[in-house]
Amino acid sequence: MGIPTTTGLNAALSGLEAAQAAIDTTGENISNASTPGYTEQVVNTTESAEQSIPGASNTGTVLLGTGVDISSISRIRDQFLDIQYRAQNAASNSANTTSTELQQVQAAVNEPSTDGISSALSAFWQSWGALTSNPAGQSNAAAVQGVISAGQTLVQTVNSVYAQMSIVQTQAAQQYSTLTGANGQVQQDATKIANLNQEISAASGSGQTDNALLDQRDNAIDDLSSLGQVSIITNQTNGSVTVNFGDAAKALVGGTTGTTVTWPQTLGGSENGPGGQLGALLQLMPPPPSGQGSPTGPITTMMSSLDTVASKVINAVNNAPGGLPAASPFFNTGNPNPDGSTTDIIDIATDPPMTTAALQSLTSGASGAAISAAIAGQQNGTADQSYAAFVAQVGGSVQSAQSTQSTAQSLLTAIGNQRESVSGVSLDQEMTNLTNYQQAYEASARVMNAMDSVISTLITTVGGAGI
Amino acid sequence: MIGRITQLMSTQQVLSEINQSQSALDATEQELSSGLSINQPSDNPYGASLAVSLNDNLSALNGYANNVTDGTAWTQAADSSMQGIAGAIQTAQDLVVQASNGTMSSSDLADSAAEINQIIDSVKQTANTQYNGQYIFSGSATATAPYSTAIPPSSSTTDPYGGDTGAVTREIGPGSSLQVSTGVVGGPGGGISQLLGTGQGPNGVAGDGLLLDTLRTVADDMTGTNGGTVGDLSNQLTALGSNLSTLEQMQATMGGAEDRLTLASTQIQSLQNSSTAALSNDEDANMATTMTTYSNQEAAFTAALKAGASIVQTSLMDFLSTN
Repeated sequence: MGIPTTTGLNAALSGLEAAQAAIDTTGENISNASTPGYTEQVVNTTESAEQSIPGASNTGTVLLGTGVDISSISRIRDQFLDIQYRAQNAASNSANTTSTELQQVQAAVNEPSTDGISSALSAFWQSWGALTSNPAGQSNAAAVQGVISAGQTLVQTVNSVYAQMSIVQTQAAQQYSTLTGANGQVQQDATKIANLNQEISAASGSGQTDNALLDQRDNAIDDLSSLGQVSIITNQTNGSVTVNFGDAAKALVGGTTGTTVTWPQTLGGSENGPGGQLGALLQLMPPPPSGQGSPTGPITTMMSSLDTVASKVINAVNNAPGGLPAASPFFNTGNPNPDGSTTDIIDIATDPPMTTAALQSLTSGASGAAISAAIAGQQNGTADQSYAAFVAQVGGSVQSAQSTQSTAQSLLTAIGNQRESVSGVSLDQEMTNLTNYQQAYEASARVMNAMDSVISTLITTVGGAGI
Repeated sequence: MIGRITQLMSTQQVLSEINQSQSALDATEQELSSGLSINQPSDNPYGASLAVSLNDNLSALNGYANNVTDGTAWTQAADSSMQGIAGAIQTAQDLVVQASNGTMSSSDLADSAAEINQIIDSVKQTANTQYNGQYIFSGSATATAPYSTAIPPSSSTTDPYGGDTGAVTREIGPGSSLQVSTGVVGGPGGGISQLLGTGQGPNGVAGDGLLLDTLRTVADDMTGTNGGTVGDLSNQLTALGSNLSTLEQMQATMGGAEDRLTLASTQIQSLQNSSTAALSNDEDANMATTMTTYSNQEAAFTAALKAGASIVQTSLMDFLSTN
């Protein structure tokens, strides 16, 4: 037996086809160079099965190559980089959320400025000083009114800062419930992943790998990782994935074909929380139900510090040594506060300072001037010091949140770059490949040309006898 | 092996560098436009809390400075009033000296007595001097006039002091107060009653020997009322001398208070200066440094833009021949 005449032609044809597939794939890569989440694809080729041909008498048959087979077109992706990227994405989004919300708190505190609490507090102490100098006479009424007004301004300023802080907390809680609620982003991402799982496992049943669907699913999981930590288990049989989300008890997307979505679930039960944006929001919202998140988030801590400042101001004014009699406090804190606390200044908007007439009668004359002087002397005292410490606390929290954010962002960029370096499309490389594949195609065509010429020679020369 | 650099990586890198340069520029620009290096507490938490404390401190100092200014005005008003009383005492002394010569007719003596009565009125009016609506010679009862002008000078009756013996003070520093109301050396407040007294007893009974009593006795002596005689005038001359000496002590005390106020004013001024300097050091932007930083950042920004523009454009495609 000899070599079939068409063997060489077929081999050249397989070369042409492989080169064409490679050129097409290069085209696909170049087209999608800027598509977010696109993974570079590569044509995997293997040698075709050889065929035996008779060899020398002492060796028997030898194996002759028959060309190239396209075994698959696969994505170039490193799943370990995916794991790192998603973990860092969660950390970065958590830091980002914390920093953004705390900056709002800082804006509410509005220091250093001429209309923050520190100015109101200074003006309040100064008004007592003015009253000390005018215990009687024509400026007395104005000085008394000055103290009352400055007291009201102080209370309003503190109240408004406190209310702003509480609004930031409430917004965080709203954001949390929007993200985790029905048709919130968690559910949408989970549903998307479940649908893609179904399509992927169906395709896998017919022996195909759909790179476009895999890219879409990886994108959806990346999206989900911005909300909380995710971990993925791939089912090797059908290519579906099980997704565990945050510190939820059950898998968010599970089942044998990865199509079961279990949501809503309770997050924040563990010490580290769910991570991601949701983890940050759980920390920032007002104290959540027990067993869910920490009862003392950064904003709650700051609000209780402001409360302490307020109670120190009240104490300094009401209980200044040599000051007002205990039966006539300047700040009336007798009424119960809506939040149940007893010491804060925050709710005394409902408990106004003492009346103008009462203050005037208590502070007139020499003994009255001594009372005003005792209260004015509280300036730069513990109340002011505790407020300065409060400003440092707010500034420190925001500063550290910002620096955490910037570190997390750099790490995310670094890991993102590593991932892009593996999976992204390098136009330079594609152009090099294109040249390469083009030449391969031309060479295969030349082989085919040669085979054609050989067969043609055979037919014209050998077959001429029959003409 | 060198990692692959894809076009997306280059463009994202360029973009993030441009963004970074831009936000650094923004921060510096905020510093330049506000003139402050601390625009929110997170810029420098300790510095921000220091700024709050220093501002508070400055506001307290401003309050003390106001008190000093107010106290100075008070003491100056008291000082000029006391000079007026001193002038009145000297006038009375002249009249007494003339009358005690024994050469004046009874009608001349009656004229002199009328003049003494006017002096009594003017002394009482001066004692009722107000500063900013407060009686400065009433001790701490600044809402009450020390003497009632309704009691005629000629009546030989008590002329009660309406004020009290309390002191009016001004806070001129932390825990440091200064008495600005009238008092004598070594005594507490007391107001002007230590000088003017409470007038005569009823029907010319000798009173406390203080100014209002002395002047009324002088008038009695000149007119021969209530058993007064011209011969008694020499005793009243001595009494007037002793009244004047009390007044001089009061003036000296007031002068001492004025000196302390001036000193306090200087001290507060220098504390204000150092606090302002500390505050400026803490929160003000150093313009020279900030401007230099700004131009450096601007250069970096321009460079990032330029580099970005050329890196993003270049790829192998520019160099492959097209056929």
